[in-house]
Amino acid sequence: MQSVILYRLTYLATALSLAHHVDHVIRHNAVGWPLTGEFNAFTMSLIIYPIIITGLLLYRAGRVGPGFWALVSGGGAIFVGAIHFGPSAAEPPAKILDGYDSPILGWLAFALLATFVTVLAITSLYETRVWWQQRQARRVVGSTTDPQMRR
Amino acid sequence: MTARTPRAARPRPYVDRAVGVGGAVQPVAIRIALWVSVQLLVAGIVVLGGGAATSQPINAAAGWWMVYAGLIDVATLGVIIWLIRRDGVSYRSLLGPPAAAWQVALGALGVLAATVPAVVFGIEINEAFYGNATLPMFAVVDVPAWASFFSVLVAPVLAELAEPVLYLGVVLPRLERRIGRPWIAATIVVLVWAGEHAFFPLLIRDGSLDLVFAGYRVVSVLPFLASWTALYYALGRRLLPIMAARWIFNGGSALALAVGLTG
Repeated sequence: MQSVILYRLTYLATALSLAHHVDHVIRHNAVGWPLTGEFNAFTMSLIIYPIIITGLLLYRAGRVGPGFWALVSGGGAIFVGAIHFGPSAAEPPAKILDGYDSPILGWLAFALLATFVTVLAITSLYETRVWWQQRQARRVVGSTTDPQMRR
Repeated sequence: MTARTPRAARPRPYVDRAVGVGGAVQPVAIRIALWVSVQLLVAGIVVLGGGAATSQPINAAAGWWMVYAGLIDVATLGVIIWLIRRDGVSYRSLLGPPAAAWQVALGALGVLAATVPAVVFGIEINEAFYGNATLPMFAVVDVPAWASFFSVLVAPVLAELAEPVLYLGVVLPRLERRIGRPWIAATIVVLVWAGEHAFFPLLIRDGSLDLVFAGYRVVSVLPFLASWTALYYALGRRLLPIMAARWIFNGGSALALAVGLTG
């Protein structure tokens, strides 16, 4: 069973991800290939778009479920959170807050990042709950159709 | 047993029963009125109790805010119980579907993890407003040991039994039912909930109300309240994991203050 909420949360997270990448491009700090010759976290993070497109196609076809999306969202939250908020963050909040001439733009970019990571984490929790509920429902159906149980 | 029987026996969720915006406005107005009046009352006690030497009784009273918060939460609990009795539901039903202890603990860990961005954002807001200085609501606290004990062990528990239950369990369903769009209702709840924080504690600076501090209180809690409200929906309207995570935050802050770790 496909969830409309899951689709909406995925689109929201993708939009926030795009906005954060655009923010990187405008600030032009902590960017890598294809904008510079450097291979870094920015370059690695671009892999998320093919994963999302493939995931959406597979989800629509019924080949993957909420468990897959929980891993993608949760992994994304950990990756982005570690890079920006971790103890050895490659791009700590100060780099974003001071990345623009206008402090308001710096705060907007930082608020966007915090919202993005929060949405990823909350989406992952929601998808984990839906995955768990579907798993429980399958168990109940499985136990009622189990020939040994019926005997 | 037919498939219909359990569905018919299942109680309707509170969102279907909570009617009337008055029941949402009343408890919030009562809380705000209590924050102001109890602080003024404590200030009066400070003056009467020989606090003439105290240059600013309002700020002296603010030193007790983590203690009298417990009284306000007890009063809030009373209002909640009065409202839900009128609606014919139990307090437990406000906390969401039943869950095992391990599920609540796991959910609380998830809530803590999902709150990390709000914590980082909050730290930056604190620095933007007050640099590395101790935050005014902590700097002002000056209470005896027994009161510290109360604010660490009792007040945070009362806060969790009252505050999130009021806003997410009582106010939100009423607004959802009235407005019809949960995201608008949730936005209103977050803004009002954050707005309430402007009133505790009230501080006086240079002879007048410190509006910068009041504004800081509202802005600094917004990311937390928005995250917790979104998590409430994500966890299928389960309040217990959010209450447990909030208790760790608030109890931890009170403990850090009591043992002198803030500043």
